[in-house]
Amino acid sequence: MPEAGPANAGYMVAAYIAAAVILVSYAVLLYRRTRKL
Amino acid sequence: MRLLRAGRWITAIGLVLLAGIYVRALAFTPIERFQGPAQKIFYVHVPAAWCAMLAMGLVGIAGILYLLLKDPRFDRFGEASAEVGTVFSLVMLTTGPIWAKPIWGTWWTWDARLTLTLFLFLLFIGYLVLRGAVTEPSLRARYSAVLGICGIPLLVFIHLSVYLFRTLHPQPIVLKPSAPSLPGPMLVTLLMSFGVFTLLYVGFVVQRYALSYLREQLEAAGGTGGGGGGGHA
Repeated sequence: MPEAGPANAGYMVAAYIAAAVILVSYAVLLYRRTRKL
Repeated sequence: MRLLRAGRWITAIGLVLLAGIYVRALAFTPIERFQGPAQKIFYVHVPAAWCAMLAMGLVGIAGILYLLLKDPRFDRFGEASAEVGTVFSLVMLTTGPIWAKPIWGTWWTWDARLTLTLFLFLLFIGYLVLRGAVTEPSLRARYSAVLGICGIPLLVFIHLSVYLFRTLHPQPIVLKPSAPSLPGPMLVTLLMSFGVFTLLYVGFVVQRYALSYLREQLEAAGGTGGGGGGGHA
């Protein structure tokens, strides 16, 4: 098993969650805005 | 409206594929030895930066075409692309500092690349604020087109900033004159992520464009007693 390097997985998880929250929130926002019309 | 439905489908497919990219990046892509798991932030940060720059490039091109042809479709597209570009810039500016903290030891540094990408985000915001502030449609379209065109030289500076200035930001590893310097599985994950983010950009822009079009149609119908419908989709 190769060396895994520094233990900073928390930052990785935080970044992936932040990206998903922003993209999914915008998708939902667009859906709601277009449904109102 | 067909365009709106198409945009929704593209976005839905893009979100499902994004989940697939998450699984591939987190579970099936090797961990880089020196940076550790934080290096995997790269698979969302770089494609988000690509989409933000693509969005601004297309806002600029739409601005040029609007000034030449005075076709409202280009103005509508510029507005849609700017709003979507703001979202991808936000992803870029959120994930970048989260990567920088464990790797550089600081969330943010005012070096050329980072500062110029912050300008890009502020330019998107300025573009949207300008559109909100000017009520006369043709004037709004003309001012927005000019501001959008200003984004094109900014993109060139952002790309060249790592060559022109001393910067902490890594050099390009894919878009460079020689072959990409990334191991095979990492390169495949990155290229797939580029594809999925671009698909999401397309889905968002198509929906946002359709939203503007429908709003204009409703306003025209309200203003002329239901006789709207003369616009170009």
